[in-house]
Amino acid sequence: MTALSRQKIGGVLARQGILIAFVVFMVGFAMANQRFIAVDNVFGVIRSSAILGVMALGVTFVVIGGNLDLSVGSMMSFSTIVVLDLHDKVGPALAIPLMFAMTLALGAFIGFLVGYLKLNSLIVTLGMLSAIHGLTLTWSGGKNMDIADKEGTWFAIFGQSSALGIPMPILIFALLAVVLSVLLSKTPFGRKVYAVGGNGTAATFSGIPRARVVFMTYVLSAFCVATAGLMQASRSMGSQNTVGQGLELEVLAAVILGGASLLGGSGTVFKTVIGVLILGFIQNGLLLVGLEFYVQYVVTWVIIILAVWLDIAAKRGRLWSPIA
Amino acid sequence: MKFTMKCALACTTAMLGTAAAAETMTIGITQNNVGVDSYQTTYEQAFIAAAEANPNVEVVVLDAGGDVARQIAQMEDLIQQEVDAIIIWPTNGEAVIPAVRKAAQADIPVIVTNSNIAEQGFEFVASFSGPDNITQGSRSAEIMCDKFKDMGIESEARVVQISGQPGYTTAIERAKGFEDRLPEVCPDVTLVETQPGDWNREKSQQVMEAFLVKYDDIDGVYAGDDNMGVGALNAAKAAGRDGIIFVGATNFAVGYEAMAAGDYWGSIYQSPVDDAEAALKTAIDTLNGVDLPFLNYFDTPKITQDNMGEFTKPVF
Repeated sequence: MTALSRQKIGGVLARQGILIAFVVFMVGFAMANQRFIAVDNVFGVIRSSAILGVMALGVTFVVIGGNLDLSVGSMMSFSTIVVLDLHDKVGPALAIPLMFAMTLALGAFIGFLVGYLKLNSLIVTLGMLSAIHGLTLTWSGGKNMDIADKEGTWFAIFGQSSALGIPMPILIFALLAVVLSVLLSKTPFGRKVYAVGGNGTAATFSGIPRARVVFMTYVLSAFCVATAGLMQASRSMGSQNTVGQGLELEVLAAVILGGASLLGGSGTVFKTVIGVLILGFIQNGLLLVGLEFYVQYVVTWVIIILAVWLDIAAKRGRLWSPIA
Repeated sequence: MKFTMKCALACTTAMLGTAAAAETMTIGITQNNVGVDSYQTTYEQAFIAAAEANPNVEVVVLDAGGDVARQIAQMEDLIQQEVDAIIIWPTNGEAVIPAVRKAAQADIPVIVTNSNIAEQGFEFVASFSGPDNITQGSRSAEIMCDKFKDMGIESEARVVQISGQPGYTTAIERAKGFEDRLPEVCPDVTLVETQPGDWNREKSQQVMEAFLVKYDDIDGVYAGDDNMGVGALNAAKAAGRDGIIFVGATNFAVGYEAMAAGDYWGSIYQSPVDDAEAALKTAIDTLNGVDLPFLNYFDTPKITQDNMGEFTKPVF
């Protein structure tokens, strides 16, 4: 009886190691500064993380499918700049679908190169990182983009409004997380993504259209990026050309922290969400503790490594590897 | 035979170069990262316009795209082309020093623009032209202090600072100017915390959100530039915290608009056009043998809601 329940607890621990790490940090920061868990602060952090989070949802699919996407940061800058510029030229109702179409086209192009031409995703998306940045700068002429009439437009709803007392970015993030979680775990498409990332050759022999599945993961990622760009643009109603710069690595960190394998074939949407929240709350927690900022970079790294270690330790049921 | 050919070619080029210098001067510029922000974009346009307006000046305009290695290669290209003077907007204050030394050894005067190189490279530099970031920081402190005195809270006010990217000279100097000057003019005002906003509006908004949670009482925010200042302002607006005095630096169009709307108190007016024209003038003066100080600062005045009518809205 005791053995059984111990086993059960062990099983839960093994599956949710990263969740345990998350709870540990939350308790730690809350003890250091009680305001950390104030409702306002928690909402604030999740709202700030929502943009990164939405991007991470899409990249989760790409990574599970066995590829990488390093272009999401500069693609997000592109979406943000384009939608802000078009807002003043053709109005928000037309600007949003146009921006989505252009961002999806970029995603489809990457998906074509990686999926159908079978080019290495690291090279393709690393190249696209600078190519899209160039595209953004060409579009804007290097200038900051701002909506001229910030009061007289409904464009602010995606980033600044709230419904039922919950900020809109959180609602978008949550809704997208639920939909994509169902897509990944309950549909044939989701199973194909796992199959292609787990063992591409076996997937091909099982009749799974590998190229198309990879293509779709990039289109999905681009859709998430476009959504993030819309939220970003709406939140600040103006932007620099470099707004998404460096986010690709934070996104990847969140996805990997959530336990998705860089080699493909494993990971879940829920764990990515936890990964995103850990990164967001670390940043906020360190600010509230008031640590000097040069030290923050180091402490952030230490916490991430601790989280990964806790996750792995929970999986194998001991702190050290049994194989030396 | 081969040697003579080479010499003939090199000698002719050199002679041509000298001959050309007598009438027109060729000035090469390698910029930091044009297009990455509106300031640098406007700077380049203004520089080219100023050069075109001067019939005695030919310019070779290059951009390093933020890449140190590319900037060093561009310096070498300009030395090869035997330009009369080189203007450099350093991508990195330390790493470009060897390239600057090489130019100095080739007897080409080097003018550093906008942000200076590290001190150990000063001996190879003819002169520096740009804004004085320490003065900008102290002026921001004065703007804030004066406003607190108007409001009668100079004995109790609490201030937070959002600085630029850690490690950048501009960020460090502005913070230093502010931190040194504030206790001189308003000794009872407390600077409670400083965190970096990385010149990024979104990041500053997040930092300010955390400050607002952490401190119930914030009277003033000093941001290293208006972009970050407006990010902080957005956070305060979203949290419904009124009455905070926002002071920035490098007045951006967004900052100017927020001032016009009455949400943002003041900033420092730094025009990329003045910056570019000052750099070109410094180079021309150097070539004409005018006696210049080593540090040539162009003026960056205070701008607040009270006097903003005297300034045109920044184009960036």
